[in-house]
Amino acid sequence: MKAWRLVLLAALTALVSAASLANPHRLDDSLSHTVPPNVQMQWRPVPPGQSDAGGMEAWLRVNVRINTRDWAGRNGRVYMVLPRDQASTIEAVWTTQGRLQPGRLVSGERTLVYAGQLPGATLEDQLQVRLRSGPDWQSSSRRLNFHFELDVD
Amino acid sequence: MTRAPRPSTLKSLASAGVVLLCCAEMANAHAWSLTVNAASRRVYLHVGNGTFEGNNGTINLVQVSVPFNLVGNGAAQAMTSNSTQNISLQGDGYNTCPTPASQVMIGASYRRSNAGNGPASATLSVTSPTSLTNAAGDTIPFSQISWTVSAPGSDVPNVIPAGTFNGGTQTLATVPANRHIENCHTYSYANNAVVAAGTYNGRVTYTLSSP
Repeated sequence: MKAWRLVLLAALTALVSAASLANPHRLDDSLSHTVPPNVQMQWRPVPPGQSDAGGMEAWLRVNVRINTRDWAGRNGRVYMVLPRDQASTIEAVWTTQGRLQPGRLVSGERTLVYAGQLPGATLEDQLQVRLRSGPDWQSSSRRLNFHFELDVD
Repeated sequence: MTRAPRPSTLKSLASAGVVLLCCAEMANAHAWSLTVNAASRRVYLHVGNGTFEGNNGTINLVQVSVPFNLVGNGAAQAMTSNSTQNISLQGDGYNTCPTPASQVMIGASYRRSNAGNGPASATLSVTSPTSLTNAAGDTIPFSQISWTVSAPGSDVPNVIPAGTFNGGTQTLATVPANRHIENCHTYSYANNAVVAAGTYNGRVTYTLSSP
């Protein structure tokens, strides 16, 4: 009985350790929300003679609340990620209140927003975001699923 | 007596642990997400004085006074304009029409967000009446008025071509999706016929359409 318990414990410990070490770790930001919840793109000017130079843009605010409880006290880097949803890229540029780093992110990439020791149960900030894209979408609306992921040192 | 567990039990328990971990990973919700709606399909046209992205009811006047001793001598008379629009409205500060007193800037753009959002182009046309008329009912064919085009520094100064009004509707240019075309039109009166004295008026209408 002891033997199989030890084996099981070792297996589970190994699994947990592997999960901890296997960067990146997707973080729970279910308490984040955007204002407004959905946005309407507006046309940008097209300078004369320049093809496709003027795409669309929109602005929004994001109240970010990332659950870092499981990683409090650990050192690492938090990235904001925007998966590529279609060939037409989306660019997000944002400023922050200072807890997270301002930056720029293009769909299909990730950008560092925090580096250092995770201070506690949550990382919170408010982002002012400008979204821009070309006029070459595949549909008239699209869902953008940003998320955060952590690389633990 | 302690019995060794059956291998199948170990496997089941280990599998349960893996499933549990996977569930914990998948249970995370990710709320930094939103639906983004594309900008609506749109045509935009300005003739003379205009407002970027807005309506402007200005109707500019192009005119010429022909001295009586020159009436009908066939020497074309340059027309002046009351337009003051010299800088492009597209936000780049480009001085498209450096002498607006003799020019009318015409700019047109067509926007669509995707291939299913409308046709690939819009059409710029102009409609003129058959004649200009004076208070006495005398007429001058609109075909007596022509225009040349320019856009200093542009690679395509004739993107909207020069022409002569024909007393009907004539297509001037095709505007591809997500392009803006713009240049300056300078009008002249052919002065080919002796006409009765008077002030002759007529209005042409430029139209940008996309079905």
